[in-house]
Amino acid sequence: MSDITLSGTSADAKATGFRFNTRAAVTHAVLILGALLVLLPFYTMLSLSLKAPHEIMQQTGGFWGAQEPFRDDFCVKLGNAVEDCMVNPIIYNYTTAFEKAPLLRYLLNGLVVTVSIFVIQVIVALPCAYALAKLRFWGREAVFALVLFCLLIPVHAIALPLYIMLAKVGLTNSYAALIIPWTISVFGIFLMRQFFMTVPDDLVDAARMDGMSEYAIIWQVMLPTAIPALMAFGIFSVVAHWNDYFWPRIVITGNRDLFTPPLGLREFKGDADGDNFGPMMATACIIVTPLIVCFLLAQRRFIEGITLSGMK
Amino acid sequence: MAQSRAYIWFIAPALILMFVILLIPILIAGGLSMTDYSLGNSGASFVGWENYERIFSRSQYEKMFGATFRYVFVVVPLTVGLGLGAALLIHSLGRFGDLYKTIYFLPVMAALIAMAIVWEFAFHPTIGIVNATLERGCGTILEHWNWYAQGCERTFPLWLNDRDYAIWTVSFIGVWQGFGFNMVLYLAGLASIPPSLYDAAEMDGATRGWDRFQLVTWPLLGPTTVFVVTISFIRSFQVFDMVEAFYPQGGGPSKSVYVMMFAIYEKGIQQNLMGIGAAITVIFLGFVMILTLIQRWLVERRTHYV
Repeated sequence: MSDITLSGTSADAKATGFRFNTRAAVTHAVLILGALLVLLPFYTMLSLSLKAPHEIMQQTGGFWGAQEPFRDDFCVKLGNAVEDCMVNPIIYNYTTAFEKAPLLRYLLNGLVVTVSIFVIQVIVALPCAYALAKLRFWGREAVFALVLFCLLIPVHAIALPLYIMLAKVGLTNSYAALIIPWTISVFGIFLMRQFFMTVPDDLVDAARMDGMSEYAIIWQVMLPTAIPALMAFGIFSVVAHWNDYFWPRIVITGNRDLFTPPLGLREFKGDADGDNFGPMMATACIIVTPLIVCFLLAQRRFIEGITLSGMK
Repeated sequence: MAQSRAYIWFIAPALILMFVILLIPILIAGGLSMTDYSLGNSGASFVGWENYERIFSRSQYEKMFGATFRYVFVVVPLTVGLGLGAALLIHSLGRFGDLYKTIYFLPVMAALIAMAIVWEFAFHPTIGIVNATLERGCGTILEHWNWYAQGCERTFPLWLNDRDYAIWTVSFIGVWQGFGFNMVLYLAGLASIPPSLYDAAEMDGATRGWDRFQLVTWPLLGPTTVFVVTISFIRSFQVFDMVEAFYPQGGGPSKSVYVMMFAIYEKGIQQNLMGIGAAITVIFLGFVMILTLIQRWLVERRTHYV
């Protein structure tokens, strides 16, 4: 903790060279230990998704498992010959993940919901942010104050009244139910407003001189300047809603066709006995992978996006 | 002049949605918390403060507050402390810092429900890796530790199914998941400290790392810390995914993990007791809003000060 600056930058770098190295070594040791703890569940998840049931139960087989074919009891129960029911663990786990539940459908639902939410959030928030930043009108301060107040409200906390409202209009168990509560992102409005404040007025005035309408200014002038901020916000939004479990759990009851990936996984857990640990972990891997891969490909943008709420 | 009317169309959708989705539900929650409403019933009768009285008198809700506060007061200090510690260590490294940053941030990205299921497996009393690892330590010097010796003699804790350990185990998973987020916020804060300040501090005689931390780093991280603490509070108050995944019924061994969001879900959705669910919602909103207002007040005071 004490090593807050590079000790090597000081003038007497040579004199402290040895101390610096031991310090760096200790730092690395601590960080590596932490990294191992952080990675442990990912390792477990991946490893279990590769192994046969008996290897999982007896904790044998190392990371990969022996990958020897084993007997699929369910297949035997269906009346097939035992020789036809010998399966390879990896193939068994991953095919069962897709066959036992419509996992592909769940992934598609997740995609539809997250993308719709983001697009609607932008359509609603961008004009509002533009008006708050660049237009002068009566009541602007009041609207902005309202935005600041609404930032206080976590949508999850008001799930109950929202659920009642949706139930009253008969919208539970629908895509609309998954999307509607998230259509307004006061955080998005606040963020884009702050961003638009930094855009010079001259740019807007020049566009007006050219005879552009206010709509055209938003989508053709302001939107392109805001792409970096929008991408960060998009990552923030997509990650939150792809991983969200609480809200789908409340509004989607029973209708499997509308399950999002987290719900699908949870359902798997509900009826998983010992034999199904492998396929369940395979499902978990499949659900976690898209975001992790995107994150590894565009780390800087992701970290920017997720921590956006800290940049106020 | 063309803009004079346009703003209405820009503001209106957002304004309407803000009212319908955020503000009206709060009023509905406030109203319902005074009734015994159930979905499907045609009417409901006014019960006054009865729901609130029940929440503050029955042992079930005492357990709810107990579990929520235990979780929050373990997870917030640890995620903030570990986040700051990791950020300082990583910031002090030149080259490999980014690698650690990536690794520590992974749990933030991964769906908590998936990782919770994996942790549940890891904490499984007989086939889990945690107890298997602990058992390997039996017969070594670790047995001098009383707790450890007892574990070897009888069994190690059941963790998630053990009344005495469940809430702490869940908290551990919460810390595991959350500290990377705080680390990244602190790294951003550290990056914004001008290096010249460290030189100035050194000239003033702050040559030890700890002195420089006290003199420069910690005060300049003040605004970051205020924000990190608030957002950690709000995030940890909302813990739900794990609890529902581990204990779909009842909130854990003798209700020791019966956190508020789960209580709202159980009362309102599972048991259709909207009145009491709404009352918990109102109390919950109260906590969150007070915390955020304290944060804003601290930030404003600071900006005047600096």
